[in-house]
Parts: sequence; C-alpha cells; structure tokens
Amino acid sequence: MNSVEWTNYREAAPENRLIEMKRGILGFENLKRFVFLPQDETVPFWQLRSIETGTVFVVINPFLIKPDYAPIIPGRDVRLLEIRKPSDVILMSIITVRREPLKATANLRAPIVINAKLRFAAQVVLEDEEYPLRYPLNTERAL
Amino acid sequence: MLVLARKSGESFRVGMSVKITVLEIKGAQVKIGIDAPDEVIIYREELFRLVEEQNTMAASSSAVDNTNLSELWVALQKKGET
Repeated sequence: MNSVEWTNYREAAPENRLIEMKRGILGFENLKRFVFLPQDETVPFWQLRSIETGTVFVVINPFLIKPDYAPIIPGRDVRLLEIRKPSDVILMSIITVRREPLKATANLRAPIVINAKLRFAAQVVLEDEEYPLRYPLNTERAL
Repeated sequence: MLVLARKSGESFRVGMSVKITVLEIKGAQVKIGIDAPDEVIIYREELFRLVEEQNTMAASSSAVDNTNLSELWVALQKKGET
C-alpha cells in the first residue's frame, strides 16, 4: 500500500491494528496504545479505543465534513511521527457527541495525526486559528 | 512555583533536554525560545486547556449509543441531497 485516499475512509484507517500514541491525547497522556474500530457499518464514524483503559474517542475523517480542510502539520510533529510523505498520513477529528444528535461537533483544531505506515499517532494542536475546536457537523444550521 | 530572574539572551534548563531562552523583552511582552525534544508538548496554556477540556468532553460523550450517531449521519446525508 503506497497511498491513502482521503475520501476512502473505510480503507484509510488501519482497522484493528495497534496504534502507538507518540505523544498522548491532551488530558489522556497516560494512554499510549489504541486500536481503531468501525463504529458500525452504516456510519463513517470510527472508535479510537484505548486498550489500556477502554476509553473511547469517536472520530471521523475530517475531509468528509470539511472537504477543503488543509491543516499544516508543524515540523516537530512531522519529525516525531517520522512522516516522509503526505500519503503516509491519515487525519482523524475527534467528535463530541451531544444528547441532541445534530449538535455534534468535530475538533478540527487538534486532529489526531497518524502515520499509517508505522502506526504512530499524536494529537496535533494546529497553529492556524481558522480551524475551530468545535466545528458543527450540521454546518448549515450553524451558518 | 520556582521563580528565576533572567535577562534578555539568558537561558535556563528544565530537565536535561529542555532549554528555555529569553529572546526579547519589549514592554509588556516577552519573547521566549524553547529547545525541546519533539515528544515534549509546547502549547500556550490557554490553548492547552481548551483542547484538554474538549477531549474530556468528547471521551465522556462517546458513551452515547449508536442510534445517536446513526441519526446524526442520516440527517447530514439528507441535507447533502437537498
């Protein structure tokens, strides 16, 4: 496998493979080992599940909800994750689910960046203020 | 809290591998340079807290059942079709 299609989310995530957090998810720094599991067949959400505590983050390929998403990954994160080329990278945005489904938001400011080849990951806080921490999935309503 | 006084151009160490240098002092603002290994997080405190808080909310919200997500996805799909 040499390239990762951004749009092909079902293939993109290294399903059921162990992911090592090189630098923890902020607030969950103690969790180092995760697996990706599909939420279910009908929705493009995935679970990023800690194998240490069972803590789950619901994630989505951010390009599905914001097609023009173009975050710049800082050099120190590129080095940390040993990324050699863009096609090594998979991005995932953490979803905050609300009681009212349509109020769910995605964190576009601090994506999970994954080196799909080596299966290293880190949460990267972008410097670009353009991308919100709480991007409403239901954008039309937000506008 | 440990307090150190430093002049512009002077540094101090945090652990063996982190060096912090005061680069410039201008009015109410201080410019700081940080040399640290890539695995050390370096974020402004405010931003760090916001991300941490959002992560905590997300982790506890993920306990919702699948119907919530299905409902959300179906609604978004419908919106896309119109």
